[in-house]
Amino acid sequence: MGALDYIWLGIAAVFQGPELFSVAGVGISVTLVMILAGFLLGIVVGATPGLAGPMAMAISLPVLISIFGFTPDALLPVMGFLIGVMKGATIGGAVPAILFNTPGTPDAYMTTLDGHPMAQAGQAKKALKIAHVSSAAGDTFSDIVLILCAPFLAILVEAYLDLPEKTALLILSLAFIAAVIGGSVGKGIISMGLGLLAAYVATGEDFYPRLSLGSQTLAQGFPIATAILGVLILGEVFKSLEDLWRDHRSAGPRAEPGQSGDQALRWTDIRRIAPYIGRSAVIGTVIGALPGIGSTLAATLGYTAGSRRHARRRPGSTPFGKGAPEGIAATEAANSSVSGANLIPVLSLGIPGNAAAVFLILAAESIGGFNPGPSVFRFTADTVNPELVVAFGLFTAMMVANLLNWTIGGAFMRVVGVMIRVPKHILLPIVLTLTLTAIYVQEARISAMWFAIGFGILGYLMRRLGISHLPFVIAFILGGKLEDTARQAFAATGGDAWFLVTSPIAAVFMALAVAVVALSLRKPQEVKA
Amino acid sequence: MRTMLKSAVAALAGLVLATAAPASDWTPPGPVKLMIAFAAGGGADTQARLIAEDLEAKLGWSFIPEQVTGKGGMNLAMAIKDMPNDGSVIGMVVTETLGYNMRVADAGVTPDDFTAITTTAGFQMGVVSLASKGWTTFADVVEAAKSGEALRFGTMSPRLSDLAYLLGKANGVEFNIVQVKGGRAVMNGVNAGDMDLGFMAGIQGKGVAAGDLVNLASALSEPLKQTPEAPTFADLGVEFVADGYFTFIGPAGMPTEARDALAAAIAEAVSTEGMKSHGIIAKAFGGPAVIAGDELQALVAADFEAAGALLEAASE
Repeated sequence: MGALDYIWLGIAAVFQGPELFSVAGVGISVTLVMILAGFLLGIVVGATPGLAGPMAMAISLPVLISIFGFTPDALLPVMGFLIGVMKGATIGGAVPAILFNTPGTPDAYMTTLDGHPMAQAGQAKKALKIAHVSSAAGDTFSDIVLILCAPFLAILVEAYLDLPEKTALLILSLAFIAAVIGGSVGKGIISMGLGLLAAYVATGEDFYPRLSLGSQTLAQGFPIATAILGVLILGEVFKSLEDLWRDHRSAGPRAEPGQSGDQALRWTDIRRIAPYIGRSAVIGTVIGALPGIGSTLAATLGYTAGSRRHARRRPGSTPFGKGAPEGIAATEAANSSVSGANLIPVLSLGIPGNAAAVFLILAAESIGGFNPGPSVFRFTADTVNPELVVAFGLFTAMMVANLLNWTIGGAFMRVVGVMIRVPKHILLPIVLTLTLTAIYVQEARISAMWFAIGFGILGYLMRRLGISHLPFVIAFILGGKLEDTARQAFAATGGDAWFLVTSPIAAVFMALAVAVVALSLRKPQEVKA
Repeated sequence: MRTMLKSAVAALAGLVLATAAPASDWTPPGPVKLMIAFAAGGGADTQARLIAEDLEAKLGWSFIPEQVTGKGGMNLAMAIKDMPNDGSVIGMVVTETLGYNMRVADAGVTPDDFTAITTTAGFQMGVVSLASKGWTTFADVVEAAKSGEALRFGTMSPRLSDLAYLLGKANGVEFNIVQVKGGRAVMNGVNAGDMDLGFMAGIQGKGVAAGDLVNLASALSEPLKQTPEAPTFADLGVEFVADGYFTFIGPAGMPTEARDALAAAIAEAVSTEGMKSHGIIAKAFGGPAVIAGDELQALVAADFEAAGALLEAASE
């Protein structure tokens, strides 16, 4: 079994997996259909203001698991669907941004700056085409980087990091996420601390369920779906419902500006925007590879970098912010290229960097048989490592989704503009019901509903207080792993209480963890100066 | 007298089993909730789900599998305790849950609070290392440890950690005992070099056959089927063993009729060539091992009592 055999097995797992139906004698594998379905759903969801990719992933995951079951065969169809949603939502977000000046997803905000002026100038179709090409290009580039980097990073980690170093790396990741997400380190650490606290209820090695206050309801801990969907989705729904109630905004559908002129995307256009796409794709990929920094920051950085270059190189043409195609390209390439690179820490370290990655890990954990982390990339010679096959299957699924993106994504994108007309007061209750149903499907007990609503209120409060909820979610996922690794490292070093600082690599990680928090604390003063 | 009694009991048990299958008119009152104490997707979870599939296909019963994991099966035990005892709720755990774990958890329950239904398979619990380590017998491990090498010993439950400690103690060495979740985690740890050796309960079969892994010792009262020449724990001076079984349980007071019908149906599925559950049990767990009814109830009660001795020995 060489690397090539594994790649081939992964491709075969996607194309020759269990078939759903056959066209002219050629079986169409269920995984392919799921990728397509996820991709189309993703575009629709991305194009609907108030919905986002993670919401669709959260709601569909329990439903998909109840359809496909807990067998290893379920991994690729379910994760393929989620990858489809992730990619679809990225390009879908640009649609309302361009047509109606309302970003469908937060990372499409910068797209409104140039996209909407272009639409007002009668160039909406062209703007959509530019957004599509840039997004697809950025996404594909990022996936290629992922496929090339993740296995090597995983092998490096496995070769050089022992249990104490792995513990230190988890602490560094959490410190980094708490420090960089949101505006304030303090709030980030509060959010992370709450996540760890929730993760530690009733877990651990003792037979006695700790922190459960003697209650049998708490003795199994908080089900992962209730905590994550509660904070991530219900919190958002509660906040949006309150916004709706406060504003009474008659958010009636806005008129689409009349269209005229040459809408085709010509070769010269592509040549013009190519440098912006390239630069933003690199920025987005680098940002994406660091856990916790989302696509919104990537979009901002990509846009700013593009803007500077534009002002310097082409002073005569339409400036950024006034309807420059280059502005759309710079933004969309940057926010799209985050998604692939974001899976580098997921697959090589098991550390999720954003909400989409959280749901991929959740899918793997719920279904079983695939544990994202360095052990995935073990190229065994005599026996087949099924996890590695799944990993290459996922890479294949991403490439299939990219292919769909290049071929039908653009056309589909241009028809989902109608989603802006979906009124929020109808949409939000639907999301609320679907989320609670999805949780109940997975955790068939009524206490799970209460947990979910409780976490929803926590998520709402965090949003109102300006505390980012992502550190909570990531800490909740990593909490168990952190404790296990730390316990194991402690035992493996023969009960050395200083295991985090005795090995040089672990000590460096710990120093970086302290440094990243300390440096982020200093940031506001620098801004003043 | 005792042997006579024993054979009489055996004959009676045989009679009960023989008559139970055809005479059993008992069917579940509705869908059976099947609680599984093992992580989704692992070997044990697959076994439980395949048994449910087999029974659904053969008898037309329907099952709703549900994961109730954690605390070495104690979460499942505490959850199933107060469920209806009419056979509509059963759970799969290991005998260790009702023995050592229940004893240590001290949660106010004993095996008497549960109905033991049947076992399905035993553990082929071996002490395993990578072949590339160069060790061929357990004596090589002891030698390496005595020469000053700090050895990490992977285990997957507190009871096994106690056993690993006693194994080292009996041979005059001390291991760094690293407890992880599940046999797969031990195997991954050993493969990745995070651990030097560890307990594996059947998952090592493929690797041993391929020559990547070595069974250094049997942690059972008898030799391993795959590597009969490896010494047993008794040979290595440990008076406790890791014998254990996958077992189905229900809440206390389940009607004998329901218990025996369930036991007979499960036993037949795991023992019949061609059944899916038989396939995985033959492949991964060294073949079926069926102990049912009162005999099993007595076995878990004895395990619960014996747990005290192991605890005492390990805390010396």
